Amino acid sequence: MTVQLLHYRAWQGAFRRPSWGVWPIARVALGSLLRRRLFWLLYAASLFLFLMFFFGGYLLDWAVTQVSQAPIKVGNVTLDTERLVRSMRQTLQVLSGNQDTFAYFFNFQGTMVMIVLALTGAVLVGNDFTFRSLPFYLSKPINRWHYILGKCLAVAVVVNLLTTLPALGLYMQHGMDEWEYFTNVAYFEESGMGRGPASWVLLLGVLGFGTILTVFLSVTLVAAASWMRRTMPLVMVWCAVFLFLHMVAVILVDGLRYNVHWRLLGLWNNLCLLGYACLGFDHETIWPAPQPSFLAAGITLGGVMLLCLTYLNQRTRAVEIVR
Amino acid sequence: MPDLLESTDPSRGDRALEGPLVRAPLSLVNGARIANKSESLEAKDSAAAELGPKTGPPVLFFDRVSRWYGPVIGVNGVTLELRSGITGLVGHNGSGKSTLMRLAAGHLRPDLGAVLVEGRQAWTAEAKRHVGYCPELDTYYEEMSGRRFIQCMARLSGFSRAEARSRGDEVLELVGMADRAQRPLAGYSKGMRQRIKLAQALIHDPKLLLLDEPLSGIDPIGRRESIQLFHKLAGRGKCLLISSHELEELEKLTDHVAIMAAGRIAAVGPLTQIRDLLDDHPLSIRVASDQNKVLATALLDCDDVVGLDRLPDDALLVRARNPRRFFQRLTELVISEHLEISHLESLDESTHDVLGYLLGGKS
Amino acid sequence: MTGSRAFFYLILLSWQRQARAHLMLWIAGGLLAFAAFLVLANTWNGRWNMSYWRVPGGGGVTYGDQIRAFAMARDLPLAGSAASVTQLAWSTQRLVVDDASGFFVFSNRIVFFLFTTFLMPLWTLSFATEGLGREREAGNLVWVLSRPLSRPAIYLAKFLAAVPWCLALNMGGFALLCVLAGWPGILALAIYWPAVLMGTLALASLFHFLGAFARRASVVAILYAFFLETIAGNLPGHLKRLSISFYTRCLMFEQAHEFGIQPERPSIYLPVSGSFAVTVLATVSIVLLVAGAWIFARKEYLELT
Repeated sequence: MTVQLLHYRAWQGAFRRPSWGVWPIARVALGSLLRRRLFWLLYAASLFLFLMFFFGGYLLDWAVTQVSQAPIKVGNVTLDTERLVRSMRQTLQVLSGNQDTFAYFFNFQGTMVMIVLALTGAVLVGNDFTFRSLPFYLSKPINRWHYILGKCLAVAVVVNLLTTLPALGLYMQHGMDEWEYFTNVAYFEESGMGRGPASWVLLLGVLGFGTILTVFLSVTLVAAASWMRRTMPLVMVWCAVFLFLHMVAVILVDGLRYNVHWRLLGLWNNLCLLGYACLGFDHETIWPAPQPSFLAAGITLGGVMLLCLTYLNQRTRAVEIVR
Repeated sequence: MPDLLESTDPSRGDRALEGPLVRAPLSLVNGARIANKSESLEAKDSAAAELGPKTGPPVLFFDRVSRWYGPVIGVNGVTLELRSGITGLVGHNGSGKSTLMRLAAGHLRPDLGAVLVEGRQAWTAEAKRHVGYCPELDTYYEEMSGRRFIQCMARLSGFSRAEARSRGDEVLELVGMADRAQRPLAGYSKGMRQRIKLAQALIHDPKLLLLDEPLSGIDPIGRRESIQLFHKLAGRGKCLLISSHELEELEKLTDHVAIMAAGRIAAVGPLTQIRDLLDDHPLSIRVASDQNKVLATALLDCDDVVGLDRLPDDALLVRARNPRRFFQRLTELVISEHLEISHLESLDESTHDVLGYLLGGKS
Repeated sequence: MTGSRAFFYLILLSWQRQARAHLMLWIAGGLLAFAAFLVLANTWNGRWNMSYWRVPGGGGVTYGDQIRAFAMARDLPLAGSAASVTQLAWSTQRLVVDDASGFFVFSNRIVFFLFTTFLMPLWTLSFATEGLGREREAGNLVWVLSRPLSRPAIYLAKFLAAVPWCLALNMGGFALLCVLAGWPGILALAIYWPAVLMGTLALASLFHFLGAFARRASVVAILYAFFLETIAGNLPGHLKRLSISFYTRCLMFEQAHEFGIQPERPSIYLPVSGSFAVTVLATVSIVLLVAGAWIFARKEYLELT
């Protein structure tokens, strides 16, 4: 009677490198998040903004068609419909698919991103501490950094689901409407429908904006969740860092007219500033004015990320006592 | 014998369903010194146990109780009546033991039927006065010491500060934690946490004790002490419902068990009678090996095999009476005849199959 | 008797357990300290006025510069009516910009923008949802539910334990910020405290309700606080009437009406009267408390296994 009778077969293959473990960690984390109804509820709410931009474009086209086809009369005077159409497009250029569209989209998406990430942090990282599942990961032949990278990857997927993916959807929509949008960088200048570049330059800008959000938010969220562990303190810190400091910055700069550099306290504002730089915005045209320089915003965000990475480094070295 | 199976008529099932009145001599409780108040309680409870509470409402009564978790049924048409003594609740994982416990503790409400504790709906605060619940979960107010936690539970049960202190000391003494209760709960071992859990269940001197896996994580000496304590409580006329998935563990505690399978009470009554019942009902097993003829010949020589058929795919259909002995014999055959078993499957999905597993048939 | 003793002890125990949530207290204290520092620094710099505002916004001259220009013009040897116009302009602008604008600036920036929009909801939600939410998340609510206390009594006791924390942070924090701001703040404290009190009770009632109702109460609460309150609360129309802070603000607007405090665009904001706001806030507090107790009495907490 040998052990073969039990149909036991020893593993014959070669083990992959530990870095291959990053994606399974992310996949498991995402699985635990995506099966929650609350997540899908929040995601659906976050898509309202996307839908507004998506159908807003069609609404504008419809309005323009209506105006062009039926001349408008005020008393005996017929209005110049061409001028009216131009004026409408000028006013609603935020729906034209140019850099303003994406700037507004990413900026307005901020509140929902913050709320979803508060839930995400608690579920993806906090639960491992609360339900003591951390030993399962740490008992595998992976480095603690792989665990953190896995979690960051999961957060990155969530951030992109909320921001980059819908933005790319908007980009595709406008390209499908007018093919030149995809091919001609100077499309907006030539058609007079807005400002800024189109085509691959705009696409790169959108991807750059998404990348900045992804990298920064995933690192800060994982650091905050590792620190706080429980949902409520995490929510408080997350709101304090992204909302409270932003409000303080607004009060100081816009309300009490302090130096513009106080605006650097608002991390979301800094993220948007760098994103606007990717989209090709002229610094002077950014609203609300005045704004600190792109460099100052970059240095601030880099500093915060460095702090988070240092903290995570300390944390990975710490001996975790798990009952 | 029919009494052993689940009874739908409570008036009929009284005799078989009732737990035994264990009257362990109080002096045997491991030399534990019990304070004056509990000594007076002992005298009173011993008298109650001797009287045997056979009249009046049962302490715990499940009246055709069903409970669903969405599409999954947790407890299915259970009728069970407990008075005093220890009743073991045994079943494998997911059989519905914890759901039954939580229904009795008033944490869940039945979708059908009623759960009554001392004649009151288990969900109500009045019923909870008579229930001491020791859940399976292992979370406490970690920052507190064991003593403070017990005193908190006492005060939440309505005791005054002084009463809570003295009552807390009593139960801590009873569970053997008096000398270690000052330390914070966060630093306790699994066994110490189990004892604290037991102490909080006892704090308000309930009639019904619901103990969900109370012996898991406790070392052998602690187990022995706990078992003695359970016997002692039963001797005071308390009704104990103790769940476990280890039948051997429960056998040390009581002969009276309720066996759960797939949300149903498969059998309830003395364990010896359940074993007899199982042995009288053959179990169908489909078995195939690389030498089916050799296997068939050997099996026919086996006393417990009451029938053997050859199936179209050349496998064997065996009907065996005593699953435990049969599987033991089969294992011996496999080793001695160098057989390679390619298929082994129990075809009998009735409760007997489950009972066979629970009573060691497949071990 | 034993029931009421257990009830009062549960209030005390829950209150003590909130006090032991050090991390949350530190974060709440940190937010208060930061806000207090901001207010104090601004008071120190004497900037509770509009003299630093620019006309037109962005790149124009400040009101302070204008006053200084008027002062210089006043000192010029102007004749007759020109001199009196310059004198009048100087004194009026100085009165409005330097002296009377403090309350307006403090109300707008600190009370309405920072406190009512962020600090009050966050402090309240963090302590009110934690009454039940923390014990649900940690799994130790089972100990309380196993005791011979009725479910509504447990719900009420947890609420009564959370309210002092919410009031201490909101009322105490608000008072501290006001005192540190000097006279505009003290005036704001005298005018706004009833609205802060009523708003706190209504929000506490709501967030405590969410703690009993939702498993991830804190996330649902911030969804409410920063989505419904902030976004829907600023939309035109009547949707904002679903937000508690709308009524808190309306009460504040009415109380500070004589000081010229009002919504930016009343025709769009559509404020309700102060008495109506008080009625709504009180009703919301009571109804949510009763509804929460009713739900808690019937809800099974399956996670407590």
